[in-house]
Amino acid sequence: MATDTQTIRLTTSDNVEMTVERAVAERSILIKNLLEDLGGEQTESIPVPNVAEPVMKKVIEWCEHHKKDPPTTQDDDSDSRKKSTDIDEWDQKFMQVDQEMLFEIILAANYLDIKALLDVGCKTVANMIKGKSPDEIRKTFNIQNDFTPEEEDQIRRENEWAEDR
Amino acid sequence: MAPTPMPPMPGNDDPVGTWSFLESGVDRIMTNLREGIDMKAYMALYTAIHNFCTAQKIVAGSFSAQHNRGGAHLLGEDLYNHLIEYLRRHLGGVQAKSREHVDEALLTFYIKEWNRYTTAATYNNHLFQYLNRHWVKREMDEGKKNVYDIYTLHLVRWKMDMFDHTHKSVMSSVLKLVEKQRNGETIETSHIKSVVDSFVSLGLDESDSKKTTLDVYKQFFEKPFLESTAAYYKDESTKFIQDNSIVEYMKKAEARLEEEKERISLYLLTEITTPLMRTCETALIADHSILLREEFQNLLNEDRREDLGRMYALLARIPDGLDPLRNRFEAHVRKAGLMAIDKVAVDGENLEPKVYVDALLEVHTQYQDLVNTAFIGESEFVRSLDNACREFVNRNKVCKSGSTKSPELLAKYTDALLKKSSAKLTEEDDMEKMLSQIMTVFKYIEDKDVFQKFYSRMLAKRLVNTTSNSDDAETSMISKLKEACGFEYTNKLQRMFQDMQISKDLNSSFKDWCQANLDEESQKSAVDATYMILGTGFWPLNPSATSFLPPQQIVKTYERFQNFYGNKHQGRKLTWLWQLCKGEIRANYIKAGKIPYTFQVSSYQMAILLLFNDDDSITYEDIEESTKLSKETLDPSLGVFLKAKVLNVQPESSKPGPGTSYSLNHGFKNKKVKVNLNIAIKSEQKQETEDTHKTIEEDRKLLMQSAIVRIMKARKQEKHQALVAETITQIKSRFTPKVSDIKKCIDILLEKEYLERQGGDELAYLA
Repeated sequence: MATDTQTIRLTTSDNVEMTVERAVAERSILIKNLLEDLGGEQTESIPVPNVAEPVMKKVIEWCEHHKKDPPTTQDDDSDSRKKSTDIDEWDQKFMQVDQEMLFEIILAANYLDIKALLDVGCKTVANMIKGKSPDEIRKTFNIQNDFTPEEEDQIRRENEWAEDR
Repeated sequence: MAPTPMPPMPGNDDPVGTWSFLESGVDRIMTNLREGIDMKAYMALYTAIHNFCTAQKIVAGSFSAQHNRGGAHLLGEDLYNHLIEYLRRHLGGVQAKSREHVDEALLTFYIKEWNRYTTAATYNNHLFQYLNRHWVKREMDEGKKNVYDIYTLHLVRWKMDMFDHTHKSVMSSVLKLVEKQRNGETIETSHIKSVVDSFVSLGLDESDSKKTTLDVYKQFFEKPFLESTAAYYKDESTKFIQDNSIVEYMKKAEARLEEEKERISLYLLTEITTPLMRTCETALIADHSILLREEFQNLLNEDRREDLGRMYALLARIPDGLDPLRNRFEAHVRKAGLMAIDKVAVDGENLEPKVYVDALLEVHTQYQDLVNTAFIGESEFVRSLDNACREFVNRNKVCKSGSTKSPELLAKYTDALLKKSSAKLTEEDDMEKMLSQIMTVFKYIEDKDVFQKFYSRMLAKRLVNTTSNSDDAETSMISKLKEACGFEYTNKLQRMFQDMQISKDLNSSFKDWCQANLDEESQKSAVDATYMILGTGFWPLNPSATSFLPPQQIVKTYERFQNFYGNKHQGRKLTWLWQLCKGEIRANYIKAGKIPYTFQVSSYQMAILLLFNDDDSITYEDIEESTKLSKETLDPSLGVFLKAKVLNVQPESSKPGPGTSYSLNHGFKNKKVKVNLNIAIKSEQKQETEDTHKTIEEDRKLLMQSAIVRIMKARKQEKHQALVAETITQIKSRFTPKVSDIKKCIDILLEKEYLERQGGDELAYLA
């Protein structure tokens, strides 16, 4: 059974067909379950209505790189995964994209059920927030301040204990 | 076979539209999966759920206190509840249909529906994976009960909406099928296995939905299964036992038990092994154990080992099943042993030790064999055998007078074996085997001290008279006794062996000394002699009862040795045991052949014969005067000479006694050149046996006293009763002491002031 070289096709939301190695595509639990459930030799292209071609390309690039990783177990909520914001070098470089793309990747990972990629994406965002003041964060993500000064005061008082002194 | 196309995708934030879209998909998976579902539909369903759950729906007052969920509000509850509603409706329909079927058809239906349903559940679980990952996970993390991942939800609904209404009829179909099989029909077992598996799947662990428990299976499958099994075998066994023999019944029960065991591997869960076996054992064995045990005696009488083995195997399965058998077995062996002894006891006083020991061994061998084959050497049966043997070895018709007869006969048998005369046993193995058999009987002997006494006396004789068959056999026997009873028991026996070796060395150094220190004349005139130096404390030998004046011819010789020994070991006193000495005399006066006869004689006989060197005819009184021998020794010694025609008596054919006179028979003739005249005298042997028994009583008193002193020395103070009990435990390995004897010994020790009485029944040790 030459599963290594077996390929499947994906059709993105913007109707682009891509050919991917099956083992690579199966980093996505969604694809993996689908292939298992429907079984047999799939000749048809798999429609992926929520992901557009540029994003899909990025996702596949990541999957290619990580195709040999051990599959994440269902209960992999270990402390190291949760607490650490460490990202390996390749992933850091991979995530050096514009903000819009970054969010698209995160959404796609969530949709396609690729836990490890979702983690990397979220950690990247977390690192962007780390050590910044609220105003800086607003600037970074282009968020409008919708608090009244009174509200802001109240929040500050409630969270005084957490201030870094 | 193209599947019907899916309806168009609903809007993201439309719960009603989304559900109706999903419902058509779920329904297709549930009811029409065989037709297949294509990728488009699969992805569409998944995407619809994803989109619905991720829809940016602004929830009013998301930051207000009542919605304090840590920020994000997860959608999905609507879909989850809709799904529950759908499943309930769907299963209601399935359950209604199931009522149309009974028996095997019902099983077929149930299993088919179950398989269809669980396959669909796997699909749905994947399609609803987004819901599982987010909404369900959050609900469960928050500790909400009754929220499950989608697959488990399917199982929960099946249990409530299908199983709870159908398990009774499903089970009754299963049980009917099993009964058919037990009656010998061939059945399709895969259905039952599937039912078992499905019941197991329904056992959900409330605390962790990912785990399963056997609760549902135990309650709804195992329990009724065991009940029907019990009823079936109760009925069958009762009927069978009425029409068949017990032996036949045992075969049947054995086969049934084997069959049930196989049934487990065929389609049951291994967890049922213990309760199922226990149920069968109760119905098949325990409920009929009284009848089975009644048959035991018959089987024993007929020595039907195979059936005995079967009975053992059956009763061994139930608690306390074997105890009554053991008691009966013990009684049976005891009876067999006593009967065997009764048979040989007709010989009375003339009973050959070998016949007696063989009779004991035969019974033991037979039943030991039975224990090993039928009762697989089980330790409790071995103990029953031992108890029975101990009983008939120590208390039987031959031992009427007391339990000391058994050890006496056993010791005599051992002596006969180890003596040169029975030299037929040349094979080393045979000797070892016989000695081991002796040890088998020895193990059961209670009065081991009696055996020791007789054995040491006979060993002494064998060594002194050099009649022992082989040193190897002797040492092997001693080491066996040592193993059984410890160092102390064989200490003296080993010392006797050592003395023999020391004597050998001493003789050769004496010879060297003679050559170095004696002139030629003295060397020539010296009598060639060997000496044995036997330690007084170790050898069970006493000085002779008679007085004796050794003949002048040997006095010089032995005095020389005495001097030599006295120089070597200052302060040691040598006492000559003349009754054990022997010598050879050459009868030069008989001119019949070219080679003169040599007489082998005792030292007493030697003294008598040497007198004839000076006189041809000597009176009884002169002999008595010259030898100083008592009448009891002199008369039989002369008697041997007369009988062998070495001496002639005057007046003719009178018995030795005062007034007779003796002369040498110059016409003595014998086929052999060496004539043994040193014949043991019968009355002496009997006397010895009696003496031995007498000394045993004395030794026992000493043994008990020394045990009491030892105990008291260690404890300083002890209650009377406890002391008696402790004494018994210490001495038991040698013999079983009577309590009254121990009391007497305590009294003696009180008198001798080793002990003193204190208040109450307390005794104290006086240093």
